[in-house]
Amino acid sequence: MDRRRSMRRSGRRYRRPWLKKCKEYMRNFIAFLFSNVGIIGLVIGYTIAGSFMIQALERGKPIPVQSQAMGNRTLFAKKLWNLTMELNANVKLQEKEYRAAVDIKLVEFQKIFVNLTRRGYDGSDDANGFKSWSFAGAFLYCLTVITTIGYGNIWAHTPQGKIASIVYAIIGMPLFLLYLSNIGDVMAKSFKWIYANFCLCRWCPGVAKRRAERRIQRDQQMEDNDSNQNTDSSSGSTNVSIKMANMNSRPSVVSEGPTLFSDESYDVESVNVPITVCLMIMVGYICGGAILFFRWEFDSGWTFLDASYFCFISLSTIGFGDFVPGDKIYGQVEFDEILELKFVFCSMYLMLGMALIAMCFNLMQEEVINKIRNSIRTVKYIFRCR
Amino acid sequence: MEISNERRGRSISRGRTPTRYGYTPPRAQRRHRETVKECCKKIITFMCTQVGVGALLIGYTVIGALVFTHLEKRGKNIESSEVETYRNATVKKLFQVVMKHNILNREGFKVDANKVLKLHQSHVTQIFKHGYDERTVDEIWTFPAALMFCLSIITMVGYGNMVPKTNEGKILTMVYAIFGLPLYILYFKNMGTIFAGCFKWIYRRIYECSTEKEGNRKKIIVPSTACLWVIFAYILTGAIMFSEWEHWDFLDSTYFCITSLCKIGFGDLVPGADVNASNHGNQTKIVINFLYMLLGLGLIAMCYNLMREETRVKLNEMNEDFNQCLEDTKIRFMACCRKHKQNNRQYEGY
Repeated sequence: MDRRRSMRRSGRRYRRPWLKKCKEYMRNFIAFLFSNVGIIGLVIGYTIAGSFMIQALERGKPIPVQSQAMGNRTLFAKKLWNLTMELNANVKLQEKEYRAAVDIKLVEFQKIFVNLTRRGYDGSDDANGFKSWSFAGAFLYCLTVITTIGYGNIWAHTPQGKIASIVYAIIGMPLFLLYLSNIGDVMAKSFKWIYANFCLCRWCPGVAKRRAERRIQRDQQMEDNDSNQNTDSSSGSTNVSIKMANMNSRPSVVSEGPTLFSDESYDVESVNVPITVCLMIMVGYICGGAILFFRWEFDSGWTFLDASYFCFISLSTIGFGDFVPGDKIYGQVEFDEILELKFVFCSMYLMLGMALIAMCFNLMQEEVINKIRNSIRTVKYIFRCR
Repeated sequence: MEISNERRGRSISRGRTPTRYGYTPPRAQRRHRETVKECCKKIITFMCTQVGVGALLIGYTVIGALVFTHLEKRGKNIESSEVETYRNATVKKLFQVVMKHNILNREGFKVDANKVLKLHQSHVTQIFKHGYDERTVDEIWTFPAALMFCLSIITMVGYGNMVPKTNEGKILTMVYAIFGLPLYILYFKNMGTIFAGCFKWIYRRIYECSTEKEGNRKKIIVPSTACLWVIFAYILTGAIMFSEWEHWDFLDSTYFCITSLCKIGFGDLVPGADVNASNHGNQTKIVINFLYMLLGLGLIAMCYNLMREETRVKLNEMNEDFNQCLEDTKIRFMACCRKHKQNNRQYEGY
């Protein structure tokens, strides 16, 4: 009796920690997945999986538009033949007449053909979509789906592909939003730290001390001025002036408080990155991207304005798709590797850029909220004063 | 001194109501000023909160559409002239082909003509990728189309079936987006709250009618399935509508509705972009698409709002449940332990 009980007890003792450990591991793992590094991996993994899926669904399937375009072309060749025969039968073939007749026919041909192009024909005879659904292309496609950019330079043609991309988008968009908020937060924090330590030169020996001294001096001066002005202007009601002085000193204390007392133990959280810096970062990123794409796509006739327009349209997730890097006519492209590299780089640029913009918005929001709070306080004070 | 006087006056008027009827001129003036101020405040709040934002958004798109049509119509049809030169070259080549096969070798002619046509096609595709549309600029940039274009910028849908080609147009697009996006976000949030309020009210009415229970007045939360049903119905109506008009597949039109409402906007299927159809029919389609998008985005905002509320409540409940459960297990565990100890002690006693 005694023995059995002890055995059970020992068993329980051994099982419980193991379970707990397992649970702990699981929790850690999930927390890691949804935290900083994990979410990047999750998004990239999701995109890669999606590109494999869409490749499997779309590659090698006949694209109806492509075959339609080819059929259309042979039909027109036939029509031209008939026309030539007709003209030849009547009189001796005259160049002018013939040209006019062919021109009319060609306009007709062009109209049908443009309609086909809008529905996805890309000028190549590749009826199975092997070229357009290379891995890098599929990757870019998946990224444009989950970031809701949607260039529309390539899209799913088969019904299965369409359904798959709908489902993919519905699952992927929240994931990407999660990525943005998470990475934006982390980047904002780290940027704040960098800004606090390097740009404000907290680590340089003399600067911080001098700055603090200067600030104290300035504050004292301001207070003196205020009190002087108040006593001058409202000599009758001393009551009001005291209130004014109190109120004036209060916000300054609030804003300068942490910097006054802590030269060494400086609080990073209290640093506010000014809006101009955020804007500069965004403009710089867009300009950098523009220069890069301008260099790359010089052959296909992009101007600098076009490149910066592309960067802006992409990063604001509008995504018209009139300019896409590596999006020439597929029949003419011979260096497929360069094309792939461009696609990959474009997707990298997008992912990093959107995170950066999320970071900037994070910082700007903080700053704006701070400013609004300050201004509300002053407005309230002014009204109360009257 | 003045301030204190005024304050005293105000306190007197507040204290003694009969003096309100004595119309002294300064007070009347003040009241007038106050009413004006009140009115201004009301107008501003109205503009910032309610239907005003919708009106602001529509006004912004209308202004944008006017400006864009003006700017883009000034741009020349470079592409169409380019296409013309290509076409002329193609005709010349075709003639050469004809001269070559003057003995009328049918197969040879066909092959050669096919080659020439293909070359022409690839040229035209390249131009098309840069925005050629087989229509003149005046035909493309009609007012409804420009309206749709502006909406597609500020909602970040970006169909890309029509794009600015002039340099000014491109710069203006960027500026327009910078100011338009915050406005759109404001609209999204406002519409979300308004629609959510309406929907909640309707749901509550229906709920009260169907259950007919009085007295049991607890807070009714709209379940997320209801929201999903609403969205589903909206997409379904849109899909049926567009498939009827545009003669698309049902799947295609569903795909279009979902990709538009998710703001992806591939632009492979856009209503009213058919070149061969009549221009007038296209315009009405574009206008209806505009309204559909505006309402649909509002609905999505509503669902987002309601679902967030619901998830928050559910999370709270779950948290409470979890805490209770934890407490329960803790108590039970303690009791168990105590019992065990007692047992042990008993055994030791034995």
